[in-house]
Amino acid sequence: MKGSHLLAALAVFVLSLLVPLVVQTDYVLQILFRIYLFAALGLAWNLVGGYAGQLSLGHAAYFGAGAYGLALFSGKLGISPWLAVLFGIMVALACALLIGGVSFRLRGPYFVLATIAFGEVLRLIVKNLPGITGGDVGLQVPALFHVNVNRAFYWAAVLLTALAYATTVAISRARFGYYLMAIREDEDTALSIGIGAARTKLLALLISAALTSLAGSLYGSLFLYVVPDQVLSIDVSNEIAIVAMLGGAGTVLGPIVGSVVLESASEIFKNIFKEAHLLIYGVLLVVVVLFLPEGIVGTLAAYLRRRAMFGGIGARAKGLAAR
Amino acid sequence: MALLEIDHVSKRFGGLRAIQNVAFAIEQNEIVFIVGPNGAGKTTLFNLITGVFHPDEGSIRFQGHDITRISPNQAARLGIGRTFQIVKPLRNLTVLENVMLGAFLHTASASKAAEQAREVLKYLEMEKIAHFTASGLPVAALKRLEIARALATRPRLVLLDEVVSGLSTAEALALAETLKKLPEWGVAAVGGVEHVMQVVMSIAHRVVVLDHGTQIAEGKPQEVVRTPAVIEAYLGTKYKELGL
Repeated sequence: MKGSHLLAALAVFVLSLLVPLVVQTDYVLQILFRIYLFAALGLAWNLVGGYAGQLSLGHAAYFGAGAYGLALFSGKLGISPWLAVLFGIMVALACALLIGGVSFRLRGPYFVLATIAFGEVLRLIVKNLPGITGGDVGLQVPALFHVNVNRAFYWAAVLLTALAYATTVAISRARFGYYLMAIREDEDTALSIGIGAARTKLLALLISAALTSLAGSLYGSLFLYVVPDQVLSIDVSNEIAIVAMLGGAGTVLGPIVGSVVLESASEIFKNIFKEAHLLIYGVLLVVVVLFLPEGIVGTLAAYLRRRAMFGGIGARAKGLAAR
Repeated sequence: MALLEIDHVSKRFGGLRAIQNVAFAIEQNEIVFIVGPNGAGKTTLFNLITGVFHPDEGSIRFQGHDITRISPNQAARLGIGRTFQIVKPLRNLTVLENVMLGAFLHTASASKAAEQAREVLKYLEMEKIAHFTASGLPVAALKRLEIARALATRPRLVLLDEVVSGLSTAEALALAETLKKLPEWGVAAVGGVEHVMQVVMSIAHRVVVLDHGTQIAEGKPQEVVRTPAVIEAYLGTKYKELGL
C-alpha cells in the first residue's frame, strides 16, 4: 500500500475511534454502529461476491450463526460470552464448508439460487427446533459489554471494520487476491493456468463467513435478543450484498462508501417519508443499478483510469482542434 | 521417452465419435501441428490432454506419468499450458496482470510475477500494451495474450488451439516467426489449425491430420500434404483422381 493511502486509512480509523467523545446521543451512536457494522459486512461479502465474483445471497446464514452461536453457547450452555463468539465463528465456518462445498460446483444464476436456498433452509431449521433455538420466539443473547454500552458497541464495530478492511487490502495485493479476480473473470482460464478454483473460492468464503459471524455476534448482543426472521432473513443477505454493490463490488473502499450512503440514506428516508421510505429506497437502488452498475467507487475509479490513460491523447487532440 | 504420448485414445459424446483411436507422440522441444477441417476433433483432443474431458478409451502420458484422468489445473501444474480457440482473456485486468496470473504458478510474490510477465511480454512484442485493459484489445493482441499467459506458467508443452484463426496473413506469419523460437525456451508446442497451411509449413516439424475424429496421416508437412487421404479430406475424391 502506498504510504499516503496507509496514512489516510489510519487517520480515518483514529478519527472514528474519537467520535464518541464528541457525539453523545445514543440515537446517533446506534446509527453509526449500523453504518460500521454494514461496512464490515459489505467488506466481508466483497471477498466472495466482489473479488471472486460469486454472488452470494445467503450471507444471513453466517450472520445468524454468529448471533445464535453467542446465544446458544453462552446464554444456554453458560460459557463465557467472548469464547462463545469464537464458537459462533466455528459454526459459521461449518456452514460455509457445507454451503460452499455444494454451491461452488454451480456457476452463475444457479450458484446464486443455491446460496438463497441454503440461507432459507437454515432459517427454517432454526424456526422449527424450538427446544434448542427457541423457534419463532427466539433466544436471549448475553451482553458483550456492560458499561457505556452504545459507545462500546460503536468501538467494536469500528474495530471490526478496520479488521475487514485490513484483510481486504492484504488479500487484494497478494497472489490469493489475483487468483480470486482470475476466477471472477473466467473460471476456465483460471483452471488453465493452474489455479485450484474450488479451493480458492472456498478459502475466500471461509474468511468472509468468519468476519460475517463476528458482525452477527455484535448485532445480536446489542439487541440482547435474536429471532430467526430477523438475523436469518433474506433481507439481511440482500442488504449486505447491496451495500457492497452500491459502493463498488471488487474495490477495497466500495463497501465502506456503500454502507455510509445506504445506511444514512435509509435512516434519513425513514424520518422524512415514514412508511414510504422503502419505496424511495427501491427507486434509489434501481437508479444505481441502471446508471452506476460498477458502484460508486467502481465508476469513479474507471473514470480516473480512463483519464490517466487517454488524458495525454485527449489534451493533444484539444490542442490540435484549437489550432 | 517422448514428452507426450497419446495412446489409442477415443472419446464419444452421445452418438458422436469425436475422437477415435488417435495415437501419436510429441518429443521434447518439438512443434507439431494437428490439422483438420472444422469438427475434426482438434479441440476435443486438446480438452482430453488438459483434463477438461477424460477419454473413454486409451491413455495419455506426460513425461512418463499417466495423466489420463487429471483435472485442468493439475495439467497446468504439471507443465501443460494451453490457449483457447475462442479467446478467454481476464477482461477487466490489464495485459500485464493477465500474464502475471500465469507467472503466479511458480511464485507467490507479485513483484517477481510482474518481472517474469514482462519477459514473456517482451518475447511476444507486447510490452507497449502491458498496461491496457484486456477488454479493449483487438483480436491479434488477444491471440498473443492467450499465448503469453500460457507461456508465463513455464510449461514444457503448450497447446495452441487455432492460434492464427481470425488473423490476417501478415499477422499470422509474424506470429509464426515468434512461435518458431519456442523450442529455444524449452517448450514443445502442439498447434491446431484448420487451413492456414502457410503457417504450418513454415514452423511445424511434424503434422498430424485428423478427419472426423480419426487420424488419417502423420509425418513431415511436405510429405503429408501429398498423401491421397489428406487431399481427399480437404478437396474431395474428384481431385484425388486428377492426381493433384
